[in-house]
Amino acid sequence: MNRLSLQPGEHFPDLDLPDHTGRARSLSELAAGDPVALLFSRGWWCPKEQRHLRGMTALQDEFEVAYARIVVVSVDAPETQSAFRAGLGARFTFLSDAERRWIDRLDLLEETDTLHHPYRPTAFTLFPDLTIQRRYDGNWYWGRPTQEDVRQDMRTISAAVRDDWER
Amino acid sequence: MNTVTLLGREFMVDPRVLAGEPVLAAHVHLCALDDPAAALPYDQPEIQQVRRDAMAWWFDLLGDRFVCCTTLALDEARYGGALTVTREPVDWALDPFARIFPGTLMRSDRFCPVAPPSGPIVERYSGVAWPGGRF
Repeated sequence: MNRLSLQPGEHFPDLDLPDHTGRARSLSELAAGDPVALLFSRGWWCPKEQRHLRGMTALQDEFEVAYARIVVVSVDAPETQSAFRAGLGARFTFLSDAERRWIDRLDLLEETDTLHHPYRPTAFTLFPDLTIQRRYDGNWYWGRPTQEDVRQDMRTISAAVRDDWER
Repeated sequence: MNTVTLLGREFMVDPRVLAGEPVLAAHVHLCALDDPAAALPYDQPEIQQVRRDAMAWWFDLLGDRFVCCTTLALDEARYGGALTVTREPVDWALDPFARIFPGTLMRSDRFCPVAPPSGPIVERYSGVAWPGGRF
């Protein structure tokens, strides 16, 4: 199996996974021409994930007026994601890789967790065409993007892709 | 063509709901009034909030029954209502858009499947009826 390196400047694969309602989705469809904060999460059970996603949920009030997207990927089943999403108050999409179709190809398996076999917490900020702007390795909590990191990346990407940025 | 005439009024819709293979005899909950004065700015807080509620729980609640949803725009700035389309009857009393203008049930052969918006954007793209449009 060819594993992807997923470094800045490379193109992120167009993930095809069910969303938190079980509906088939693709990452490019969810991006819909806008910048994306793509968050790979261990799952609902992890306190670090709960804390980090509460922060990202707080940030959605800015995303909703800023033409940018948030997408979360985990190995939780869609119905579990749906409940977790509702508990967070999130209005963005979760993608379920419960069948672990992408986790090895993306080389994002957290190998130390032999109970859940989850994604290793990793975040990417993406251009609308899924080119990687920045990668955050969040195995240690402080490696994850802060709200300000995400704001700055969305600013950088938007300035590059919005023709009327300096109008 | 991205306009429909409903209740004797002409509304702009998300163009995707009219493009493709329509679902026959679909259930339509039309939350609009025939009164031409029934219009509010899209930017008004309650019109923003119903879109948030739709993405937070309404579309999820409809699940596989969901066909499409579009707001009904009168022009680039004014909201005239919304319609939600499903394959089967649902509990329309929960429809958040009915908080703005009350709903009327219809059957229709016009509307096509469009996946719910990925969220969390409530802003519109160059005045296109939400959730349509893109840059």
